Amino acid sequence: MSVQPYNEDQTDALQEVANIAMGQAGDSLARILDNFVTLSVPRIRQIAVHELADTVTTMVGDEEEVSAVRQAFYNSLRGEAIVIFTQSGADELAELLGYDCELDTAIEQELLLEVGNLLVGAILNGISETLGTELGFSAPSLMAERAPLHQVLAPDQLSWEHALLVEVNFSVEKHRFKSHLLMFMTEETIETLRGILDEFMDDF
Amino acid sequence: MAIPLTVVDDSRISRKMVIRALPPGWDVEITQAENGEEALAAYRAGKADVMFLDLTMPVMDGYEVLEHLQKESLNTFVVVISADIQPEAQERVKKLGAMAFIKKPVKTENIVAVLEEYGLI
Repeated sequence: MSVQPYNEDQTDALQEVANIAMGQAGDSLARILDNFVTLSVPRIRQIAVHELADTVTTMVGDEEEVSAVRQAFYNSLRGEAIVIFTQSGADELAELLGYDCELDTAIEQELLLEVGNLLVGAILNGISETLGTELGFSAPSLMAERAPLHQVLAPDQLSWEHALLVEVNFSVEKHRFKSHLLMFMTEETIETLRGILDEFMDDF
Repeated sequence: MAIPLTVVDDSRISRKMVIRALPPGWDVEITQAENGEEALAAYRAGKADVMFLDLTMPVMDGYEVLEHLQKESLNTFVVVISADIQPEAQERVKKLGAMAFIKKPVKTENIVAVLEEYGLI
Protein backbone atom coordinates (compact mmCIF):
# COMPACT_ATOMS: atom_id res chain seq x y z
CA MET A 1 0.00 0.00 0.00
CA SER A 2 1.44 3.33 -0.96
CA VAL A 3 0.66 6.39 1.07
CA GLN A 4 0.31 9.91 -0.24
CA PRO A 5 2.79 12.12 1.64
CA TYR A 6 1.35 14.88 3.80
CA ASN A 7 1.25 18.28 2.14
CA GLU A 8 3.16 21.21 3.59
CA ASP A 9 0.22 22.45 5.67
CA GLN A 10 -0.51 19.00 7.13
CA THR A 11 3.15 18.54 8.03
CA ASP A 12 3.28 22.01 9.55
CA ALA A 13 0.16 21.34 11.63
CA LEU A 14 1.50 17.99 12.84
CA GLN A 15 4.81 19.60 13.74
CA GLU A 16 3.03 22.25 15.80
CA VAL A 17 0.85 19.66 17.57
CA ALA A 18 4.02 17.68 18.34
CA ASN A 19 5.64 20.89 19.58
CA ILE A 20 2.81 21.61 22.02
CA ALA A 21 2.82 18.01 23.27
CA MET A 22 6.61 18.02 23.58
CA GLY A 23 6.42 21.15 25.73
CA GLN A 24 4.19 19.32 28.20
CA ALA A 25 6.42 16.24 28.20
CA GLY A 26 9.50 18.43 28.69
CA ASP A 27 7.87 20.13 31.66
CA SER A 28 7.09 16.76 33.28
CA LEU A 29 10.67 15.61 32.71
CA ALA A 30 12.08 18.86 34.11
CA ARG A 31 10.02 18.37 37.26
CA ILE A 32 11.23 14.85 38.02
CA LEU A 33 14.86 15.56 37.07
CA ASP A 34 14.79 18.95 38.81
CA ASN A 35 16.70 20.43 35.89
CA PHE A 36 15.99 22.63 32.90
CA VAL A 37 15.21 20.56 29.82
CA THR A 38 16.17 21.79 26.38
CA LEU A 39 13.62 20.99 23.67
CA SER A 40 14.13 20.42 19.96
CA VAL A 41 12.18 21.36 16.86
CA PRO A 42 10.05 18.26 16.09
CA ARG A 43 11.00 16.36 12.95
CA ILE A 44 8.46 14.59 10.73
CA ARG A 45 9.28 11.97 8.09
CA GLN A 46 7.37 9.36 6.12
CA ILE A 47 9.59 6.34 5.75
CA ALA A 48 9.75 2.68 4.81
CA VAL A 49 10.90 0.31 7.53
CA HIS A 50 14.20 -0.44 5.76
CA GLU A 51 15.12 3.27 5.79
CA LEU A 52 14.35 3.68 9.46
CA ALA A 53 17.68 2.81 11.04
CA ASP A 54 19.59 5.18 8.76
CA THR A 55 17.07 7.99 9.19
CA VAL A 56 17.10 7.74 12.97
CA THR A 57 20.89 7.35 13.10
CA THR A 58 21.17 10.67 11.30
CA MET A 59 18.93 12.22 13.96
CA VAL A 60 20.40 10.55 17.03
CA GLY A 61 24.02 9.92 16.03
CA ASP A 62 25.68 6.53 16.38
CA GLU A 63 28.73 7.30 18.52
CA GLU A 64 27.42 5.29 21.41
CA GLU A 65 25.13 2.49 22.43
CA VAL A 66 21.55 3.15 23.43
CA SER A 67 18.81 1.75 25.62
CA ALA A 68 15.22 1.88 24.41
CA VAL A 69 11.72 1.57 25.80
CA ARG A 70 8.65 0.94 23.64
CA GLN A 71 4.93 1.47 24.15
CA ALA A 72 1.99 0.93 21.83
CA PHE A 73 -0.80 3.46 21.56
CA TYR A 74 -4.31 2.91 20.22
CA ASN A 75 -7.89 4.20 19.77
CA SER A 76 -8.23 6.96 17.13
CA LEU A 77 -4.54 6.74 16.25
CA ARG A 78 -2.55 3.52 16.33
CA GLY A 79 1.14 3.12 16.47
CA GLU A 80 4.14 2.77 18.66
CA ALA A 81 6.27 5.17 20.66
CA ILE A 82 9.92 4.39 21.28
CA VAL A 83 12.08 6.35 23.69
CA ILE A 84 15.78 6.07 22.98
CA PHE A 85 18.27 6.95 25.70
CA THR A 86 21.89 7.44 24.74
CA GLN A 87 23.87 5.23 27.08
CA SER A 88 25.79 8.00 28.82
CA GLY A 89 22.47 9.70 29.43
CA ALA A 90 20.85 6.53 30.73
CA ASP A 91 23.80 6.02 33.07
CA GLU A 92 23.28 9.49 34.46
CA LEU A 93 19.57 9.06 35.05
CA ALA A 94 19.89 7.63 38.55
CA GLU A 95 22.07 10.51 39.64
CA LEU A 96 19.64 13.06 38.19
CA LEU A 97 16.77 11.33 39.96
CA GLY A 98 18.65 11.60 43.25
CA TYR A 99 19.67 7.97 43.78
CA ASP A 100 23.00 7.75 45.56
CA CYS A 101 23.12 4.04 46.29
CA GLU A 102 24.72 1.25 44.27
CA LEU A 103 22.40 0.40 41.39
CA ASP A 104 21.59 -3.02 40.12
CA THR A 105 20.29 -3.79 36.64
CA ALA A 106 16.72 -4.14 37.85
CA ILE A 107 16.68 -0.61 39.25
CA GLU A 108 18.31 0.81 36.13
CA GLN A 109 15.67 -0.85 33.98
CA GLU A 110 12.91 0.42 36.20
CA LEU A 111 14.17 4.00 35.85
CA LEU A 112 14.25 3.75 32.07
CA LEU A 113 10.71 2.38 32.03
CA GLU A 114 9.51 5.06 34.40
CA VAL A 115 11.02 7.97 32.46
CA GLY A 116 9.98 6.47 29.11
CA ASN A 117 6.43 6.09 30.35
CA LEU A 118 6.37 9.65 31.67
CA LEU A 119 7.49 11.09 28.32
CA VAL A 120 5.19 8.93 26.21
CA GLY A 121 2.19 9.53 28.48
CA ALA A 122 2.72 13.29 28.45
CA ILE A 123 3.21 13.51 24.71
CA LEU A 124 0.19 11.34 23.90
CA ASN A 125 -1.97 13.34 26.30
CA GLY A 126 -0.72 16.54 24.70
CA ILE A 127 -1.57 15.28 21.22
CA SER A 128 -5.00 13.99 22.17
CA GLU A 129 -5.89 17.22 24.02
CA THR A 130 -4.73 19.43 21.16
CA LEU A 131 -6.47 17.41 18.45
CA GLY A 132 -9.47 16.40 20.54
CA THR A 133 -8.92 12.67 19.97
CA GLU A 134 -8.91 9.72 22.34
CA LEU A 135 -5.65 7.86 22.84
CA GLY A 136 -4.86 4.94 25.08
CA PHE A 137 -1.47 3.38 25.59
CA SER A 138 0.02 0.15 26.82
CA ALA A 139 2.51 -0.38 29.63
CA PRO A 140 6.13 0.28 28.62
CA SER A 141 8.50 -2.55 27.90
CA LEU A 142 12.25 -2.58 27.57
CA MET A 143 13.23 -2.93 23.93
CA ALA A 144 17.02 -2.84 24.15
CA GLU A 145 19.78 -2.25 26.63
CA ARG A 146 23.27 -1.10 25.73
CA ALA A 147 22.81 -1.98 22.09
CA PRO A 148 23.88 -0.30 18.84
CA LEU A 149 21.09 1.84 17.40
CA HIS A 150 21.05 -0.08 14.11
CA GLN A 151 20.30 -3.28 15.97
CA VAL A 152 17.49 -1.69 17.98
CA LEU A 153 15.76 -0.43 14.86
CA ALA A 154 16.36 -3.45 12.65
CA PRO A 155 13.33 -4.16 10.42
CA ASP A 156 12.66 -7.49 12.15
CA GLN A 157 12.08 -5.60 15.43
CA LEU A 158 9.18 -3.69 13.94
CA SER A 159 5.79 -4.76 12.75
CA TRP A 160 5.13 -2.26 9.94
CA GLU A 161 6.35 -1.61 6.41
CA HIS A 162 5.74 2.08 5.99
CA ALA A 163 5.20 4.63 8.72
CA LEU A 164 5.01 8.24 9.71
CA LEU A 165 7.84 9.12 12.07
CA VAL A 166 7.68 12.01 14.53
CA GLU A 167 10.90 12.72 16.45
CA VAL A 168 11.40 15.06 19.38
CA ASN A 169 14.31 15.16 21.78
CA PHE A 170 15.02 16.27 25.29
CA SER A 171 18.40 17.10 26.75
CA VAL A 172 19.46 18.37 30.15
CA GLU A 173 21.77 21.35 30.27
CA LYS A 174 25.27 20.78 31.65
CA HIS A 175 24.55 17.04 31.77
CA ARG A 176 24.93 14.23 29.30
CA PHE A 177 21.32 13.11 29.58
CA LYS A 178 19.65 13.01 26.20
CA SER A 179 16.61 11.10 25.01
CA HIS A 180 14.78 10.92 21.71
CA LEU A 181 11.11 10.12 21.49
CA LEU A 182 10.04 8.50 18.22
CA MET A 183 6.41 7.95 17.32
CA PHE A 184 5.53 5.62 14.51
CA MET A 185 2.10 5.62 12.96
CA THR A 186 1.15 3.02 10.43
CA GLU A 187 -0.51 3.42 7.05
CA GLU A 188 -4.13 3.38 8.16
CA THR A 189 -3.38 5.89 10.90
CA ILE A 190 -1.52 8.16 8.48
CA GLU A 191 -4.82 8.56 6.61
CA THR A 192 -6.91 8.98 9.78
CA LEU A 193 -4.49 11.59 11.07
CA ARG A 194 -4.54 13.41 7.72
CA GLY A 195 -8.30 13.94 8.18
CA ILE A 196 -7.88 15.01 11.80
CA LEU A 197 -5.15 17.52 10.86
CA ASP A 198 -7.29 18.97 8.05
CA GLU A 199 -10.16 19.48 10.50
CA PHE A 200 -7.78 20.98 13.05
CA MET A 201 -6.58 23.50 10.44
CA ASP A 202 -10.14 24.37 9.43
CA ASP A 203 -10.60 25.78 12.92
CA PHE A 204 -8.11 28.58 12.18
CA MET B 1 -2.84 54.62 14.64
CA ALA B 2 -2.33 50.91 14.19
CA ILE B 3 0.38 49.36 16.37
CA PRO B 4 3.06 47.50 14.35
CA LEU B 5 2.94 43.89 15.60
CA THR B 6 5.26 41.10 14.45
CA VAL B 7 4.22 37.49 15.05
CA VAL B 8 7.29 35.22 15.08
CA ASP B 9 6.91 31.45 14.73
CA ASP B 10 8.36 28.87 12.37
CA SER B 11 4.97 27.18 12.11
CA ARG B 12 2.42 28.72 9.76
CA ILE B 13 -0.51 27.17 11.63
CA SER B 14 0.87 28.49 14.89
CA ARG B 15 1.10 32.04 13.51
CA LYS B 16 -2.48 31.66 12.30
CA MET B 17 -3.58 30.46 15.74
CA VAL B 18 -1.96 33.51 17.36
CA ILE B 19 -3.46 35.93 14.84
CA ARG B 20 -6.90 34.35 15.25
CA ALA B 21 -6.59 34.75 19.01
CA LEU B 22 -5.85 38.50 18.90
CA PRO B 23 -8.54 40.49 20.68
CA PRO B 24 -11.14 41.77 18.22
CA GLY B 25 -10.81 45.48 17.66
CA TRP B 26 -7.15 45.70 18.70
CA ASP B 27 -5.77 48.03 16.05
CA VAL B 28 -2.58 46.37 14.79
CA GLU B 29 -0.65 46.11 11.58
CA ILE B 30 0.56 42.52 11.45
CA THR B 31 3.87 41.29 10.07
CA GLN B 32 4.77 37.59 10.14
CA ALA B 33 8.29 36.25 10.67
CA GLU B 34 9.41 32.60 10.40
CA ASN B 35 12.51 32.80 12.57
CA GLY B 36 14.57 35.09 14.75
CA GLU B 37 16.50 36.67 11.91
CA GLU B 38 13.31 37.67 10.16
CA ALA B 39 11.98 39.00 13.47
CA LEU B 40 14.99 41.27 13.95
CA ALA B 41 14.71 42.44 10.34
CA ALA B 42 11.04 43.27 10.95
CA TYR B 43 12.01 45.18 14.10
CA ARG B 44 14.64 47.17 12.22
CA ALA B 45 12.07 48.00 9.56
CA GLY B 46 9.86 49.53 12.27
CA LYS B 47 7.30 46.73 12.14
CA ALA B 48 7.58 45.41 15.68
CA ASP B 49 6.58 47.82 18.43
CA VAL B 50 5.03 44.66 19.83
CA MET B 51 6.50 41.22 19.15
CA PHE B 52 4.81 37.87 19.83
CA LEU B 53 7.76 35.50 19.94
CA ASP B 54 8.05 31.70 19.80
CA LEU B 55 11.10 30.10 21.44
CA THR B 56 11.89 26.87 19.58
CA MET B 57 12.73 27.84 16.00
CA PRO B 58 15.36 26.96 13.43
CA VAL B 59 17.93 29.51 12.16
CA MET B 60 17.64 31.79 15.20
CA ASP B 61 15.54 30.85 18.21
CA GLY B 62 13.56 33.08 20.53
CA TYR B 63 16.22 33.21 23.26
CA GLU B 64 18.74 34.53 20.72
CA VAL B 65 16.27 37.20 19.59
CA LEU B 66 15.86 38.35 23.19
CA GLU B 67 19.65 38.42 23.66
CA HIS B 68 20.06 40.54 20.54
CA LEU B 69 17.34 42.95 21.62
CA GLN B 70 18.89 43.25 25.07
CA LYS B 71 22.48 43.65 23.86
CA GLU B 72 21.55 46.34 21.38
CA SER B 73 19.14 48.03 23.83
CA LEU B 74 16.33 47.70 21.32
CA ASN B 75 12.95 48.79 22.48
CA THR B 76 10.04 46.51 21.70
CA PHE B 77 7.34 44.94 23.86
CA VAL B 78 8.00 41.20 23.66
CA VAL B 79 5.45 38.58 24.64
CA VAL B 80 6.82 35.05 24.44
CA ILE B 81 4.28 32.51 23.20
CA SER B 82 5.70 29.04 23.65
CA ALA B 83 4.90 25.38 24.18
CA ASP B 84 7.88 25.21 26.54
CA ILE B 85 5.95 25.64 29.77
CA GLN B 86 8.78 24.96 32.22
CA PRO B 87 8.76 27.60 34.98
CA GLU B 88 12.47 28.09 34.32
CA ALA B 89 11.82 28.89 30.65
CA GLN B 90 9.45 31.63 31.79
CA GLU B 91 12.01 33.00 34.26
CA ARG B 92 14.73 32.96 31.63
CA VAL B 93 12.80 34.88 29.02
CA LYS B 94 11.73 37.48 31.58
CA LYS B 95 15.35 37.95 32.63
CA LEU B 96 16.15 38.47 28.97
CA GLY B 97 13.61 41.26 28.80
CA ALA B 98 10.36 39.60 27.72
CA MET B 99 7.41 41.35 29.36
CA ALA B 100 5.12 38.33 29.50
CA PHE B 101 4.80 34.64 28.76
CA ILE B 102 1.77 32.94 27.24
CA LYS B 103 1.59 29.17 26.83
CA LYS B 104 0.51 27.40 23.68
CA PRO B 105 -2.13 26.73 22.49
CA VAL B 106 -2.77 30.45 22.89
CA LYS B 107 -6.16 31.78 24.01
CA THR B 108 -7.62 35.25 23.43
CA GLU B 109 -8.23 35.73 27.16
CA ASN B 110 -4.52 35.20 27.89
CA ILE B 111 -3.50 37.81 25.32
CA VAL B 112 -6.14 40.23 26.63
CA ALA B 113 -4.87 39.80 30.20
CA VAL B 114 -1.31 40.75 29.18
CA LEU B 115 -2.37 43.68 27.01
CA GLU B 116 -4.66 45.03 29.74
CA GLU B 117 -1.98 44.65 32.40
CA TYR B 118 0.35 46.88 30.40
CA GLY B 119 -2.32 49.29 29.18
CA LEU B 120 -1.96 48.32 25.54
CA ILE B 121 -5.70 48.00 25.08
